[in-house]
Amino acid sequence: MLSNFDFSVIPVSLPFIWEGLLYSFKLTITAMCGGIILGTLLALARLSGGPVLSRFAAAYVDTLRSIPLLMVILWFFFLIPLVTGKPMGAENSALITFTLFEAAFYSEIMRAGIQSIPKGQVNAGYAVGMTYWQTMGNVVLPQAFRNMLPVLLTQTIILFQDTSLVYAIGAKDLLKAAENTGKNYNRPVEMYVFSALIYFIICFSLSMLVKRLQKRIAIIR
Amino acid sequence: MIDIKNVSKWYGNFKVLTDCTTNVAKGEVVVVCGPSGSGKSTLIKCVNALEPIQQGQIIVDGTTVSDPKTNLPKLRARVGMVFQHFELFPHMSITQNLAIGQIKVLGRSKDEAIERGIKLLDRVGLKAHANKFPGELSGGQQQRVAIARALSMDPICMLFDEPTSALDPEMINEVLDVMVELAQEGMTMMVVTHEMGFARKVAHRVVFMDAGQIVEDAKKDDFFGKPRSERAQQFLSKILSH
Ligand SMILES: Nc1ncnc2c1ncn2[C@@H]1O[C@H](COP(=O)(O)OP(=O)(O)OP(=O)(O)O)[C@@H](O)[C@H]1O
Ligand SMILES: [Mg+2]
Repeated sequence: MLSNFDFSVIPVSLPFIWEGLLYSFKLTITAMCGGIILGTLLALARLSGGPVLSRFAAAYVDTLRSIPLLMVILWFFFLIPLVTGKPMGAENSALITFTLFEAAFYSEIMRAGIQSIPKGQVNAGYAVGMTYWQTMGNVVLPQAFRNMLPVLLTQTIILFQDTSLVYAIGAKDLLKAAENTGKNYNRPVEMYVFSALIYFIICFSLSMLVKRLQKRIAIIR
Repeated sequence: MIDIKNVSKWYGNFKVLTDCTTNVAKGEVVVVCGPSGSGKSTLIKCVNALEPIQQGQIIVDGTTVSDPKTNLPKLRARVGMVFQHFELFPHMSITQNLAIGQIKVLGRSKDEAIERGIKLLDRVGLKAHANKFPGELSGGQQQRVAIARALSMDPICMLFDEPTSALDPEMINEVLDVMVELAQEGMTMMVVTHEMGFARKVAHRVVFMDAGQIVEDAKKDDFFGKPRSERAQQFLSKILSH
């Protein structure tokens, strides 16, 4: 059975795979940065935004966390052109969808992080005359972010794995590139194996990194 | 300087403060004491509006604290506060802790803020620790840094909430020494503490609280001579006996 495999397709596929991987990274990093920023704002809105804002933030987070990502990807891809009247392209559509979707998850992480900072720290910020935003920006968020860094990174690893779902709308990510070259060279199984290996190596090394980081943070505290 | 007039405060249905009235004149040192849960921390936090009040009035240097139009950050910047658990910013070095308020709130330049910070650090005897982080200092040292941080804002008065009660006994004096020195320089101070030695040495008046009420508000000598209320007498004999 194994003798039927022909892995000579792999060197040939490398340029395509590389391009797909770059898009997967771009998607991951955009959704991570955008998601953390938007998520932090949602967390702040939920914790101290007054009744209207906090309810909106809660509804946003709870809704997105209750819908499968794949459905959000599809809806956004097919609905937005209907609303705006022009297609947006699978790649851009995915960038926006992931940012909006991941914000809901990062928001819950940041909310836990913010709540883990003792009230006394907030009071200390206020007591030197800082405003709400100064206290958040200089005192609470840096500590919350530091405490939550391992969890944020773990979420990012999951996010990276989830980016493979964009293949459903035809965005050219790592998985799509593997599938396409597999088809073109008539070696689909080899290419699926190869791309799985790449996902595994990246996620596994990142997980190891998070573990070491966790230990370091535990020591600092 | 600090005028507390008929202040009442509730946490939900629970009345923490009942009709509290007292004041701290310029240059005066007022010690607030009383049993645990009597509302001392709550009262002192009301002074710089870390806690809102529902009734009465607090006026600090002519500014009504509870007035919704009051610019609270601006007011708080002029009132130094020292907490029981120090509350230094753990992610910043000592120097940054001393400079951050000056830079962000007073708009001083970084160099100016650091220079002023180091000067105050020297004053509390910790200049050698400027580049360390709070976690690397002992409790007594952290509390002295916290005092320096409050002073870095050039406050018109200082609030202390049990500044020594989280400290190991051997560190209490290093902090009290700094506070005594401050008092002797004429700083206006409102100090929640059970350190009666400190009260005897520098306090002008002692306020005794119980169950959210100010039970006794007397000149120091009168208070230690013979407190009028029975509860204050009991409290005194208890904490002076150990
Ligand atoms: N955020 C809060 N919500 C509800 N009740 C509170 C809150 N903070 C304090 N209390 C209650 O208010 C009362 C007064 O608390 P406070 O901390 O002012 O007392 P204290 O005199 O400073 O006591 P201690 O000596 O223990 O510091 C206590 O019964 C406390 O349980
Ligand atoms: Mg207290």
